Amino acid sequence: MSSYFIAIGTFVGIYALLALGLNIQWGFTGLVNLGHVGFFAIGAYSTALLTVHGMPFAAGLALAILLSASLGALVAMATLRLREDFLAIVTLGFSEILRLFLINEDWLTKGTNGIKAIPRPFREAFSQGYDLFYLILVGVAVLIVFLILDRVRISPFGRVLRAIREDEDVAQVAGKNTFRFKVQAFTLGAGLAGLAGFFYAHYVTYISPDSFVPALTIYIWVALMAGGSGNNKGAILGAVVLMGFLEGTRFLKDLIFFLSDVRLAAAREILVGVFLILLLIYKPEGVLPEERK
Amino acid sequence: MNAFFQYFLNGIITGGILSLPAIGFSLLYKILRFPNFAFGSYLTCGAYTALAVNLVLGGSIVWGFAASLVVTAGVAITVDQLVFRNLRQRRPLTLAIVSIGAVFILENVIRFIWGGGLQYYRIPVYRDMYVLGIHMGREQSIILLASCIFMLLVEGLLKKTRLGKAMRALADNPLLAEIKGIDRERMVILISGVGGALAGASGVFLGIDTVIDPLMGFNVILSIFAAAILGGIGSARGAMGGAMVIGLAEELSLLLIPSTYKSAVGFGIIILILILRPGGFTKR
Repeated sequence: MSSYFIAIGTFVGIYALLALGLNIQWGFTGLVNLGHVGFFAIGAYSTALLTVHGMPFAAGLALAILLSASLGALVAMATLRLREDFLAIVTLGFSEILRLFLINEDWLTKGTNGIKAIPRPFREAFSQGYDLFYLILVGVAVLIVFLILDRVRISPFGRVLRAIREDEDVAQVAGKNTFRFKVQAFTLGAGLAGLAGFFYAHYVTYISPDSFVPALTIYIWVALMAGGSGNNKGAILGAVVLMGFLEGTRFLKDLIFFLSDVRLAAAREILVGVFLILLLIYKPEGVLPEERK
Repeated sequence: MNAFFQYFLNGIITGGILSLPAIGFSLLYKILRFPNFAFGSYLTCGAYTALAVNLVLGGSIVWGFAASLVVTAGVAITVDQLVFRNLRQRRPLTLAIVSIGAVFILENVIRFIWGGGLQYYRIPVYRDMYVLGIHMGREQSIILLASCIFMLLVEGLLKKTRLGKAMRALADNPLLAEIKGIDRERMVILISGVGGALAGASGVFLGIDTVIDPLMGFNVILSIFAAAILGGIGSARGAMGGAMVIGLAEELSLLLIPSTYKSAVGFGIIILILILRPGGFTKR
């Protein structure tokens, strides 16, 4: 039973990193990202491909963050100079094309077979209790990221981001190069998704294009919206709520035994969609509203 | 050379199919200021409505087609009234996210009822026609004809009727149109209905031309978006022209790149437009 909770905790940590990344983009700056899962996938595949070929974990970590962040910067720069609302389609398109790439470029990604036997950091040092160690590792990462981002939130940089979200013209009149700030915010969020990908790949040890479906992006949106957009604590709380929901609905299977697996999965996704819409209509500030400071 | 003309013909057919959902998408994008991704799902709803009539009730595809126009118009109006109307005062991008939530719901309702597998209509099989070495199915020629008729109807509606002029006025300059006494809410319902029906028709055509599955609408949303941007958002005629260009580009791309990346063509064009012509090709 305790191993079950360790697994749950690790996933909460990974989702929390993703939600924190989205929070910088949407919660702080108001930039929409419908392809978050793409940057997550970039992180996971970068580190997996390096480490299965015997490269050190530090190299995997560096590439996971750098590659996802630079692709995030590229996407942001191509789109944001002209029309902010096109970011919705460009990010969605990016994650879809990336999935096509992962499926079709066998020579690099092993296609739909995926990458197996991804090594786990410091595995040899533990004869038992490794999963607990990994949970702590992820937990420490979440804590560090949280502390940094909460400094960012009250820093001058964070204030500019929020000013852009509220009224970009005003921020521009105040002499801020809003384009640069927006690109930086988006890059930071994408890099965090890459970091989450690193922890995911080395936790599950097997990744394939099916691990990175568009639905995951929606899950993270639900987490952020439920927890409280613009609030870092809210993003983490949202990850907990999301995991509770995903696990809770798994037990539906025992209750509604007459539903097939496909129908059960569909019913669950319908609930996620309904939940997201109801949240945005009736409680847009989430459980933990943004702290005004 | 034959291959070129074959792809060219396929491109025109794809363009015709894409043009129908692009019209409503583009007009509503301009009026409500957010991209409604649910248009892809309206297309899927249309395809499955016709499938229900065709397979379950045993009706012909023509009846299925008629039913899909009505049902999809209803779905589009219901989604607008139930979901988007409550959020009109919010930031437009919030609505884009909400529309993704609607995609999630519609797509999975279909999956819940029909499962995730591929489906086909039961339609009589005819021998393909060959003209100068280019082959064209009987269904394809009907799809081409029907989508041309629909485009002409839309053109007539928008240009000749009072209602159409009001729609265009609203899409051209929402603020001015409202000052002149055009009821925005009523127009949004009407355009949702007409746009939804057109998307439903497109779904049936796509189902006949390829296969029916719950993801079919989501898979063309990039192309619809690209068509709308290419034609200038808010222009129905632009959306139709844009769809033709996208359809042709997607099919002709097969001469150069593997077919697995066909759906990346729309995305590539969006990026090119963003870099070269942010206002599209007809406006500004």
